[in-house]
Amino acid sequence: MMLDGQLFDKFGVEYAPNEIIFCEFEPGNEFYFIHSGRVKIVKIINNTEKTLDILEPGDVFGEMAILEEEEPRSASAIAAEQVKLLKFHRANFDALLQGNPQLAYKLLVIFSKRIYDAKRRLMILLLDEPQLKVMDVFNMLSENNPQIDIQAPVTLYATTQEVANWAGLPLNDVQKVLTQFSKLGKIELFNDRIVVNNIRDFQRVVSSKRKKL
Amino acid sequence: MSNGSSPVSGIITRRYKTGSIIYFENDKSEYIYILKEGKVVLTSTKVEKGDIVETKDFVKPGEFFGVKSALGKYPRDETAQTASEVITLVLTPAEFERLILKNVAVVKKMLRVFSNQLRRITKMVREVLGGGTTLNPEQELFKIGEYYFKNGKHQQAIYAYKKYMEYYPGTKFAPVAMKRIEAINTGSADYDMMQDSVSFDSGSASGSSGGSDADMTDFSIDEPDEPTSAPSDDFDFDEPAPAAPAGGGSPKSALHNEMDDFLSDDKASGLDDFSFDDDLGGASAPEPPKDITQQYYEAMNLYSQDRAADALALYKKILESKTLKTDADKKFYEKAHFELGRCQLKLNKSPDALAAFSALLKKFPTTDLAKNAYLHIGLAYEKQRDVENAKKFYSRAAATEPRDDINIQAAKRLKALQ
Repeated sequence: MMLDGQLFDKFGVEYAPNEIIFCEFEPGNEFYFIHSGRVKIVKIINNTEKTLDILEPGDVFGEMAILEEEEPRSASAIAAEQVKLLKFHRANFDALLQGNPQLAYKLLVIFSKRIYDAKRRLMILLLDEPQLKVMDVFNMLSENNPQIDIQAPVTLYATTQEVANWAGLPLNDVQKVLTQFSKLGKIELFNDRIVVNNIRDFQRVVSSKRKKL
Repeated sequence: MSNGSSPVSGIITRRYKTGSIIYFENDKSEYIYILKEGKVVLTSTKVEKGDIVETKDFVKPGEFFGVKSALGKYPRDETAQTASEVITLVLTPAEFERLILKNVAVVKKMLRVFSNQLRRITKMVREVLGGGTTLNPEQELFKIGEYYFKNGKHQQAIYAYKKYMEYYPGTKFAPVAMKRIEAINTGSADYDMMQDSVSFDSGSASGSSGGSDADMTDFSIDEPDEPTSAPSDDFDFDEPAPAAPAGGGSPKSALHNEMDDFLSDDKASGLDDFSFDDDLGGASAPEPPKDITQQYYEAMNLYSQDRAADALALYKKILESKTLKTDADKKFYEKAHFELGRCQLKLNKSPDALAAFSALLKKFPTTDLAKNAYLHIGLAYEKQRDVENAKKFYSRAAATEPRDDINIQAAKRLKALQ
């Protein structure tokens, strides 16, 4: 999306690393467009701070606030590094849309993706066993990259922690499952990535279990 | 949602017979449809309360369908079937974009529908993840602060506490939030010392105004040095019976004379228990006084609400206390000197502020607040345009160990003056 300087002069805000942009449960009616830097979306679940997402330039967050009644934020947004953001209020949102229909379209695209991602994640969470959940996280990650050749071993760039977050499982449980899969030769574990030798096998197992629901 | 009625060049029109499938669930396609004439049924499988159920939605003429999957580039999440003879327009995302950019109202309407769906699904995800369903956002916001505080992430904790104070001043945890902010600002934050301080029993949560007795019980137990015989607190000390009403003239003279006396007394007697008995014997307070801790937090609360004058009056009242029963009382009595100065500073009474900070340093030569007092003395001098003295105290603050935010602030002010 094009960002003219005028827009930044008017709506620009900057945050230093680790600074909170907004906090879970804080009432809010602003949403943000990331101009530069990355933003962590975190939530405190069972007394642990869990990273739900890391957003990049071009991403929008806090967008729920703009169209709903003022509701508490469902997660916290924290600057992962020095970030420049555009900050919009509900009050100037209409004017903004009138003047920048591209942004409105961009939001529409983002909402579409978010809805799908949330639904997809729900499908993972509703599976019964930890093994199935982890398998389905791999399925989801491979779906995110349409270029992937599912006939060949698939390389997924995810850490154990990230898999645990997606699966809604404790880190220990996920580690156990991964070790088990690794021993069975289904996956290979690396520091920054996981190679799944036969993703179609995982897809088949998960869909056969899911149908029984 | 109605599309622009005039035919758009290049857009394909497609006709379907009754019962035809326009697309299947899980198909991959980038096309977006606008129903021109007829009836279309969308059948989707949705997850509701853990069960997967089939739902049907009807598309009305003029409405779009297939938008989300086309824009999000994911498989169709519903099957579209005709329920009559149907005419549709078929658009690529680029054509769709061009069409709707001319009509922001349509985008806004779609955004509203999408955001509602998103919120609903997000809520389900949260439920499955085990997050509570009906949380009290006030209490939860405070808990976020507690989480970060406990984990030593003070910057984040301060943010949450400040937001709490901003949105819920005078509510249940406001005094504790104030205290945490204070503890972090003065570098005396130590969660272990404050642990188990707050009980989140939802039953007694109330929207009562700040400073009620019920509110105070929550944190009175978390004073690390507080004796366990809390119930006796109310009788422990007597207010100065003939005390002049708070908020009178300059506090200086009264403060200097009376308090110096008090302190030497305290040091001489040494034993708290001893003075406690003494106090009981002489206790004939006409009304049950609020304890110093209560007054202190009430004052902090007022200050945070930009009511510096009211806070000032309360701090003065604290400084008039003759008997300090508990260690907590002593601590807050000491802190009140500092806070009094801050109030004066906020009210632009720099000379009074200087007097208050000097009194603190004189009476409590080993106070933890010394560095912060130097900083504020610097600020007071700066307000009086006494640059030399301001610099002197900023550099003293900047050089005082251990180093923390106050050193940084002092160094900043110093740099600005140079």
